[in-house]
Amino acid sequence: MNTNSTRYTFVFAIIVCVVSGVLLSVFSEGLRPQKELNEELDVKRNILKAVVLKEPVAPKTKAADVLKVYDSKIEEVVIDDKGNVVEGKKPKQLTGKDTNLFPLYLYKEGGQVVAYAFPVVGQGLWSTLYGYLAVEADATTIRGITFYKHGETPGLGGEIEKEWFQNNFKGKTIYSLKDHKLTPTIVVKGKAADVVSKDELSYHVDGITAATLTGKGVTDLMDRWVRVYDAYLSKLRKI
Amino acid sequence: MGEALLSSKNQKILKDGFWDTNPITFQILGICSALAVTTQLKTALVMSLGLTFVTAGSNVVISLIRNFIPSQIRIIVQLTVVSALVISIDQILRAYMFDVSKQLSVFVGLIITNCIVMGRLEAFAMGNPPWKSFLDGLANGAGYSAVLIIIGIIREIFGSGTLLGYHVIPASVYAQGYVNNGMMVLAPGAFFLLGIIVWIQRSISGYKES
Repeated sequence: MNTNSTRYTFVFAIIVCVVSGVLLSVFSEGLRPQKELNEELDVKRNILKAVVLKEPVAPKTKAADVLKVYDSKIEEVVIDDKGNVVEGKKPKQLTGKDTNLFPLYLYKEGGQVVAYAFPVVGQGLWSTLYGYLAVEADATTIRGITFYKHGETPGLGGEIEKEWFQNNFKGKTIYSLKDHKLTPTIVVKGKAADVVSKDELSYHVDGITAATLTGKGVTDLMDRWVRVYDAYLSKLRKI
Repeated sequence: MGEALLSSKNQKILKDGFWDTNPITFQILGICSALAVTTQLKTALVMSLGLTFVTAGSNVVISLIRNFIPSQIRIIVQLTVVSALVISIDQILRAYMFDVSKQLSVFVGLIITNCIVMGRLEAFAMGNPPWKSFLDGLANGAGYSAVLIIIGIIREIFGSGTLLGYHVIPASVYAQGYVNNGMMVLAPGAFFLLGIIVWIQRSISGYKES
């Protein structure tokens, strides 16, 4: 057999393409339900992490138990750009076309809302950062933040997924009661305490060494989403 | 089979890949990933496992069809086999080991472009039977892994003060004024380490410039 003839080469190339094409589609389609389940579970885990549950779920908790906690503690609603709750809509039903509708997650304990959580998405240095931000019932104080998906450099920008970075946000305020203006959290270069005055510490957090641009990405996404959700949150503040 | 599974010839294949012609220190292949994933030991370990698996697996597949591949398009065929293998693994990880797949993120895809995989296919699997090719892939993967793990350990300890995420440098040392070495986290730190490792390995193995 002449394996170098043009005809053979073409036939061989087509066979290779078809075989690998079929193989990949089978893997991709066959595993799709399982993959989607994982992603949904990951999102729910992170919402639970952002709202800082009174009884936190352990990292190794089984999927079914996580979903049970989620269903009992979190209420999912959809709001529009005026900050009104859209009745009868669930975050799951939102598509790319719904640019004026936003998902909102209410964390309730004994019928009382403890925290409001919403997704924050934006560009970092290399990748899109995905996270959730949760504010206390006062609609002003940050209760927790989590970044669960990104492609930043491990050890540098990748530090945004670490506890120490996320803990810096806790207790910061997104609204200044004194000046009556929004104060989305800003990630500074270096230590916040060295860079800004004491009054401004309420909305500045420490940066990550050698990851200034990832920090800038976080600043930008905070600014964007705090403003979007302020339509809803501003109605809750008692001023 | 006229030959034992681990005959002296096959043992030599293993030793060559791991030591005498180590892909990193002798062939100077796979340097980019050796820099990129070694800031932490964990990612270095995972990358090592992934690359060893892919090199061994694609070596076997290519070796099985080596007599049928038209030589003009052999590189493309190799690349297709490697990509299909890597993407399949990625899909399986996403479905059944979601946590692992999240940590790997971009690294799995990077295996496709790792020069060691293509290098072994061209240099070995195209001209040798499947079992020998499998051993060759395994040995080269192990040789690559050994270097990555050494660099990963050193960089994580001195760059972040941790090992596999656990603090190994006590807080009292920091209190004395010790700071983590920022260079270790960046690429130059890896370059220096890599150079030193190549130097040491070559002096021991008796490498001569040809």
